[in-house]
Amino acid sequence: MRIGSAKQSYAADAALFDSRTQWAWVAVLAASLLAFPFVANEYWLYLACLVAINIASTTGLNLLTGYTGLVSLGQSAFMGLGAYTVAILQIRYGTPMLLNLLAGGVVAMLAGVVVGVPSLRVKGLYLAIATIAAGVIAHFVFSHFADLTGGSAGLSVPPAQVLGVVLDSSFKLYWVIVPITALLLIGAANLFRTRIGRAFIAIRDRDISAEVLGIPLLRYKLLSFAISSFYAGVAGGLFAYFFRAITPESFPLIMSIFFVGGMGTMLGSVLGAVFMTLVPEVLKLIVGWLPLGDSAMLVLSPVRTIVFGLMIVLFLIFEPHGLAEVWRRIRRLFHLWPFRT
Amino acid sequence: MTMKKRTFMAATAATLASLSSPLLAQAQKKAAKGGPAEDIVFGASMPMTGVFAFAGIAIDAGIKDYLSILNESGGVEGRKVKYVPEDTAYKVDQSMAAFKKITSQNKVNLYYADSTGFCKAVNPELERHGGILMTGASFAKEISNAQKYPHQFMVGPDYSEMVAILLQYIAKTKPGAKVALVYSDTEFGRDPVEAFRTDTQKLGLKIATEIVTPPGSVDVSAEVIKLRRADPDYAIFHGYISAPIPEFINQARGVGMKTQFMGTFWTMDNSTVMRMGPNADGFMGVMPYRYYYDTEGKSPMLEKIRKMRPEYQATGYMQGFLAAMLLTEAARRTLAAGNELNGKNMKIALSSIRNFDTGGIIGVPLSIKGNSIPIGRVYKADFKQQKMVPASDWINLTQ
Repeated sequence: MRIGSAKQSYAADAALFDSRTQWAWVAVLAASLLAFPFVANEYWLYLACLVAINIASTTGLNLLTGYTGLVSLGQSAFMGLGAYTVAILQIRYGTPMLLNLLAGGVVAMLAGVVVGVPSLRVKGLYLAIATIAAGVIAHFVFSHFADLTGGSAGLSVPPAQVLGVVLDSSFKLYWVIVPITALLLIGAANLFRTRIGRAFIAIRDRDISAEVLGIPLLRYKLLSFAISSFYAGVAGGLFAYFFRAITPESFPLIMSIFFVGGMGTMLGSVLGAVFMTLVPEVLKLIVGWLPLGDSAMLVLSPVRTIVFGLMIVLFLIFEPHGLAEVWRRIRRLFHLWPFRT
Repeated sequence: MTMKKRTFMAATAATLASLSSPLLAQAQKKAAKGGPAEDIVFGASMPMTGVFAFAGIAIDAGIKDYLSILNESGGVEGRKVKYVPEDTAYKVDQSMAAFKKITSQNKVNLYYADSTGFCKAVNPELERHGGILMTGASFAKEISNAQKYPHQFMVGPDYSEMVAILLQYIAKTKPGAKVALVYSDTEFGRDPVEAFRTDTQKLGLKIATEIVTPPGSVDVSAEVIKLRRADPDYAIFHGYISAPIPEFINQARGVGMKTQFMGTFWTMDNSTVMRMGPNADGFMGVMPYRYYYDTEGKSPMLEKIRKMRPEYQATGYMQGFLAAMLLTEAARRTLAAGNELNGKNMKIALSSIRNFDTGGIIGVPLSIKGNSIPIGRVYKADFKQQKMVPASDWINLTQ
């Protein structure tokens, strides 16, 4: 049983991991991520990359909605902007991958600042509706500026190259996508150890009080939009390199991911992305194992979709704080065992 | 939260975590190794759920039926064809996951793709893999570019060619007619717009108007007014399955318009057209295949299908059936020539097909040159008979 960890300095209080056990688990996770490509087949590597891209995008959205309390439905538009920027740079100029990703993030960030302006006047549902406009405008631009975006047919992206290695398989892309996502996650987690992150949380909890405390709402709300869109832009760029074909319809709404994972926690972004990406695949595996013969797919595919939807609804009903809270409860159970929480 | 809820949530999370372990991959690999090595594997990213499920279910049935006929008659050069489909819910990421899963567990040579987005996304992967020939549900013009998509082809005309077939029919039936194009604001809808503009000019037809609508829009009264003002002789719908076509036609008929309405392949299933109600009578469109109930001419395959499945089979079924037929024919020709079964050789074999008899699935013998098969026929709805009946002869754009 672990009864607590005494924190004797501010640094210890602000530390991301507060015990040796946690560091040990982080080391295990890092080792597993390093070993994964060597034990997994192409299918699982594909899913790992997809999960990582979704984590990057969801983390951005979580920064904005989960931490700052600004509801946005424009995340997919920013992903699209990042993807198109990366694709155009790669096709036309063949600039290095990391530079393209950075440019994708910056373009999305600038658009995010513009879209974030209404957040100074409107909140909640009204802001959500205002941000939908970003999606509509982005879709229009992607479909109609055909000289640049390839119009409705979209763009085919050549494979990226890093240090002369052509990144044309999930195995190779894994070594770029997962570290970038890890960096983005670490960056986001550290953000909340700074004044900026705490200002975001203060705005979420009560924006008027935050302003009274000396937090300039204009600057911080736009900053939140900017960082969130940057994350989406980079995720979109990774998406472009991963799928190597983008069209105006490649970027659907991704709202539900972090609701399931848990708003306002880094773990929520990760677990939400893992859940939403892997559960349909896991359900397919389960259906495949059932001894129902050739007609199993025909009969059980709709059932599987219903089960997936039902699982999301059940999580929202029984655990509105998401999978992150479930995880915390499991940890607490082990910490306090044999006592009950 | 009660203990019960907690236990439920913890158990669910733990189960999911354990199930998603990569160890599963190893188990699957082992299972795959147990299968007979000589089988030709036919993979499919099939939309059994989602917005395109109506087609996916029919296509799946068509592929299964053809492969069962083929396997019963000895397979491809003595090798059985094993069909491995995966549901995709018509989502590109899931289609890609299905592709990765199927190809990592089987030595796949033939593949069916469910969407244009997936055909594009998987193209670099196909080139890297090298061993697969693919076709699918997409009729996008871009996929018909054989240089860009060397390991793919489509089982019929692309969308621009479908519109061209309709325009040829119009030009022949009513020279100089005024034609309108009504399309959805999607990649699917916009596909034939350019070709429509150039082909109408080439054939001496006049463009009455072009109307673009949101996909699946319900209220089309403003668009109907625009169409009424343009007063076209023909209006071609593209980029829809059904809605808003019935609403469009009902409103147009309500204001006394005499325009002849037309559709492209995915609108042309018998049940889709007849669901429009009495106003469907006379609705025309292009079909690359014969309908299930067509008895005209000699069509042994259609007879076989009717024997296997006494109830009506949708047009998607015919598409899946023919897709399986052409993919396996390419494999057969490759093996018969003593070549390795890979994407390049199978594409060469496919392109060697001349005057191929589909057993009546297409009413004329087909020859394959590029990535599309630009053959189709105009059918017309007979609401009294509840059937689509031929309105033209087979139109081959290569002739």
